[in-house]
Amino acid sequence: MTAVSLADGIPLPMKRRGVANWVRSYLAMLRWDMTNTRLMIPILAFAQAISGAGLVLGFGLLIPSQPPLVAAYLVTGAAVVTLIMVGAAVGPQLVAQQKMEGSYDFMWSLPVPRSAAAMSWVTLNAIIAVPGMVAALVAGALRFDVSFAITPMVVPAVLITIVSGTLLGYALSHAIPKPEVTLLVSQILIFVIFGFAPIAFPAENLPSWMATTHQYLPFVHMANIIRDSLVDGIATDVAHSYLVLAIWSVVAIAVSAAVLRRRK
Amino acid sequence: MNGSTPPPPPRNVGSSAFQATDVVKTYDGGKTFANDGITLGVHPGEVYGLLGPNGAGKTTLVKQVIGLLKPTSGSITLGPYDFIEDPDVARQLCSYLPQAQMPIDSFKAHEAITITGAIRGGPPEAVRERTDELIAALELEEWRNTLGTKMSGGVRRLVGFIMTTVWPGRVVILDEPTNDVDPLRRRLMWEQIRKLAHDGVAVFLVTHNVMEAEKSVDRLAIIDQGKLVAEGTPSSLKAEDRQHLRLQLMLSPGTDTPSLPEFVAHDTRVGNNLITVISEDAAATGIAWAQEQMQLGVADEYALGAITLEDVYVRLTGHASAIEVEA
Repeated sequence: MTAVSLADGIPLPMKRRGVANWVRSYLAMLRWDMTNTRLMIPILAFAQAISGAGLVLGFGLLIPSQPPLVAAYLVTGAAVVTLIMVGAAVGPQLVAQQKMEGSYDFMWSLPVPRSAAAMSWVTLNAIIAVPGMVAALVAGALRFDVSFAITPMVVPAVLITIVSGTLLGYALSHAIPKPEVTLLVSQILIFVIFGFAPIAFPAENLPSWMATTHQYLPFVHMANIIRDSLVDGIATDVAHSYLVLAIWSVVAIAVSAAVLRRRK
Repeated sequence: MNGSTPPPPPRNVGSSAFQATDVVKTYDGGKTFANDGITLGVHPGEVYGLLGPNGAGKTTLVKQVIGLLKPTSGSITLGPYDFIEDPDVARQLCSYLPQAQMPIDSFKAHEAITITGAIRGGPPEAVRERTDELIAALELEEWRNTLGTKMSGGVRRLVGFIMTTVWPGRVVILDEPTNDVDPLRRRLMWEQIRKLAHDGVAVFLVTHNVMEAEKSVDRLAIIDQGKLVAEGTPSSLKAEDRQHLRLQLMLSPGTDTPSLPEFVAHDTRVGNNLITVISEDAAATGIAWAQEQMQLGVADEYALGAITLEDVYVRLTGHASAIEVEA
């Protein structure tokens, strides 16, 4: 082993760095995160699946028969809502729980690159979130006969949505010192996403100032790119949405990096 | 604080060791000093105790070492590495057992240990071997496959200790490691701590259990209100109190502290426990005075004994340690 040699002969190891160290750290942290939440993952994933399917079936109760395009819009909207909800709500709740049980300091004393720990977290969120999305789509296919045309673009669309959504939630929950406040903010986020983000309804239904605001927020664009990858001819201006989300992803990564590297 | 000695001069233990120099950490825009110019060093192979009452600034210092907090000023180094400049290397070179219990509800004991070993950069086979070795050494075989939720506080603490030391850094920081641990396994844990030091690790032990520290550390520092008030070996710290004895009175519940004779050098009262330090010459007079207090109904019993580190600690900090509070 290469070592820094010292006056009294006891060698100190070189600092671990580089891609191999990052990958090894990521895999080890993922093992930790998966084991840590293994009692909860099935429940959370199941809850996500139920809420995804429930949203779709709920739309069916509100408006029993819908034109195919409207049905496709609602069903894909439900899928996107369940996908975003995990990053905005479940993730922050898990971090708040760590802070409340006092294990946060231990987790942050572990010798892994912060970005590897963050990516492990994103992966965990994806595992919890994807079943909800799939359940919403299956329920949509069964209940409304929505015919999907799933393209390979579904992979980057889902990835960019989960990465930016989860990292924003993650940065938020690390930046707010009080876990009680994190939980409150997370509740407000859920309320905003569910009620006032034009995901399962067109932005034109909102007051114009709110619709304009949403052009700059990520939610409507997340819905647009995922929709585009699932159903033919339902989404427009997809390249613009990818651009907005790319910017949001960079912002999410930069904010996360700043928050995670910050020392009080 | 009575009879206080001036703080020792800054101690620099050389380039190979862990060294904190003039560490200052303030809050409230510089109004509150959590650490006020702390200088101390720990050699590889040494068990170093950091003692002080709750709120003295022990944990604040430790959190700066591992990069969870940033000092207002001062330096923290290990050999050529600057821990303040590079908190990533600090985390690679330091293992930390926090005072709070480990978050291992969903982990079996051996999983928590091997995964932490992997996170700490240990090769899988070596980590597995060392896990087995430490589980056997601390006699935890029957809990090997037990989930964290089913562990007692003491077992969880021991598993946390193994998680910290399964693939240790060059500095192992243990914050109250023996909390909740039964006496037998405390002894086993101390054996392992000694073994770590023997292997060249600098062990940094944070505690307010003075009696345990007296038996176990090579050197120690006492900090109070953010300042280092004494540093040395247990016996060097007791040197000033040679030719003195400890006269302890268990006062009757509800009585006030009696007025103390002139031969009492220092005194502290914790609950009904009155601890005084008297000179050896005054032993007979002291016993007579203690007996008189019993006859007057002020005290229920008394004990005369040798000065311990506890008495030094009480003199320097004005606080009794955990053991005294429990007594």
